[in-house]
Amino acid sequence: MDRPNDPSKRTPRESMELDPSGGGSPETLVLVEGVQRAQRRFDRRVVALLKNPIVLTLALLGLIALLWWAAQTNWAAVQRLPALIVWGVMLGSIIALGSIGLSLAYGVLRFANFCHGDLMTVGAYAAFALLALLRQSTPLAPFSFGWGFLVALLLAMPITGLVAIGIDRVIYRPLRARHGSLVILEMASLGAAFFVRSLIYIVWGADFYFYYLGRERPAMQLPLGIRVQAYQFFILGLTLVLIVCVYLLLEKTKMGKAMRATADNLELSKVSGINTEQVVSWTWMISGALAGAAGVLLGLSAQLRPAMGWELLLPMFAAVILGSIGNPYGALVGGLIIGIVEQTSTAFINPAYASGVAFFIMIVVLLVRPQGIFGKAGG
Amino acid sequence: MNLLEVRGIVTGYGEMEILHEVCLDLQVGEIIAIIGPNGAGKSTLMKAIFGLLKIQSGQIVLKGKEITHLSPDRLVHLGLSYVPQVENIFPSLTAEENLEMGAFILSEDLTARKEKIYQLFPPLRELRGRRVGKMSGGQRQMVAMGRALMLDPQVLILDEPSAGLAPKLVGGIFERISEINRTGVSIIMVEQNAKQSLKLAHRGYVLASGRNRFTGTGKELLDNPEVGRLYLGG
Repeated sequence: MDRPNDPSKRTPRESMELDPSGGGSPETLVLVEGVQRAQRRFDRRVVALLKNPIVLTLALLGLIALLWWAAQTNWAAVQRLPALIVWGVMLGSIIALGSIGLSLAYGVLRFANFCHGDLMTVGAYAAFALLALLRQSTPLAPFSFGWGFLVALLLAMPITGLVAIGIDRVIYRPLRARHGSLVILEMASLGAAFFVRSLIYIVWGADFYFYYLGRERPAMQLPLGIRVQAYQFFILGLTLVLIVCVYLLLEKTKMGKAMRATADNLELSKVSGINTEQVVSWTWMISGALAGAAGVLLGLSAQLRPAMGWELLLPMFAAVILGSIGNPYGALVGGLIIGIVEQTSTAFINPAYASGVAFFIMIVVLLVRPQGIFGKAGG
Repeated sequence: MNLLEVRGIVTGYGEMEILHEVCLDLQVGEIIAIIGPNGAGKSTLMKAIFGLLKIQSGQIVLKGKEITHLSPDRLVHLGLSYVPQVENIFPSLTAEENLEMGAFILSEDLTARKEKIYQLFPPLRELRGRRVGKMSGGQRQMVAMGRALMLDPQVLILDEPSAGLAPKLVGGIFERISEINRTGVSIIMVEQNAKQSLKLAHRGYVLASGRNRFTGTGKELLDNPEVGRLYLGG
């Protein structure tokens, strides 16, 4: 094939004229230009390759493998990896629950709810308050918690949903009615986040709390030297149950279908007679309930702090973007990937940078494949 | 009796006024075609009737009852139905789910209603489990019209039903429209395909620059030399 711009076919004089600086010998310029051209072609190919969803997933898994390989020199870190992956799955489940709600709300309302992390905190503290009201129950072996905790968890979910609906009625709905711009809605949700967190500081203070103080947490031994605690299974199990519930709701119920329809095409939903405000309320209820459950699980895995949910907002956004914004199933996959990558990274780098890892993944996805793993190009 | 009557409505987008005192009426059992050049305000008129635009002045009356400022979901309850020109389907839902969304306001079993739609558009029966986003233009148009017919509307508003379809499919869509009309649905149709739609319609309206220019039976408009020269391509 004859390429008129092929640098090898150009005379040295032409090459020199193409170079604005005009310095260097003609031969060097031809060489430099050729190398730059090859470099650009290579860059384009790499970017095109990374845009393939399978390749991107493999690349992320490869990153984990790379970390593993890098640790060959650090045997202690490698030994920690299986345990860290277990922790990662657990953290990933919590991030996933939060991200699914965030993604659902984005799909229907077309804005990213910055208050979502603090809704998780609301759920965690609501369960804490309920637990204090409920009679002490004996632990359900092998878990460290009793029936009281399950009741508190199940009640904290709709309570968080109602808080989400309340925030919508007071702040977001009036803005929607006035066709407020996206920036205004985002700022309002940021304001709501600060407001909710401040309320928690006022009521409970800045101290740490635990659902159960001083109860031992029995560990089970698994192969590969993994020690798993029963509550970690509970977190994973509950996440799976809730995800199945969300799936059934979205795919099989009339309201779930209407939620998907509204996310697809708001104007056509109105034209079809769908009461979109009712759909919005249901979306907040489900999004809030999932956030509440995630908050309680986060409290169970560590401790309760007023900033606990806020600090998870960044990994949740990373998960939502990775799994294609607005796609709840993508958010699940994104949450698990972010959780595992964050946790395994702590074997090799300072754990303080863990949320930096989530941020790094988010930036890479936005640069290379902004539509996420499950998104359509240009969509 | 006038089923639907538009009396001198003025509307537009924000500050920009598009329609200047446009009038039309629709009799029971009629098909009327709205034609006119691009930018005449045909789609705007359809959106205005369906409560999607703020109407500055004028009235819209359905069976003697004013509906001017009602929201789209109220109009659905009153027997109006609308198929927008673009984005008239829910792409991530299946064909069947799209139909179900058309009857969202009903809490009854929808099997019989869906069956009627499959009889009108037989290919949809096979495609009912397929996501509409993956369908062809002609199939999407069937889904869009099927969704709008789920509630057995009295008035069906179609905005450019033949837009974007392969030429050989256009005739099929016009046949379906005629068939829908024979079941008793009155139809307001906006069309680029002016000649074909005037042949199908009982009456037509020619809009230009947001005003009524001509009106008459389909045949009258087709035979009118001025309409022919200006809007039917000679």
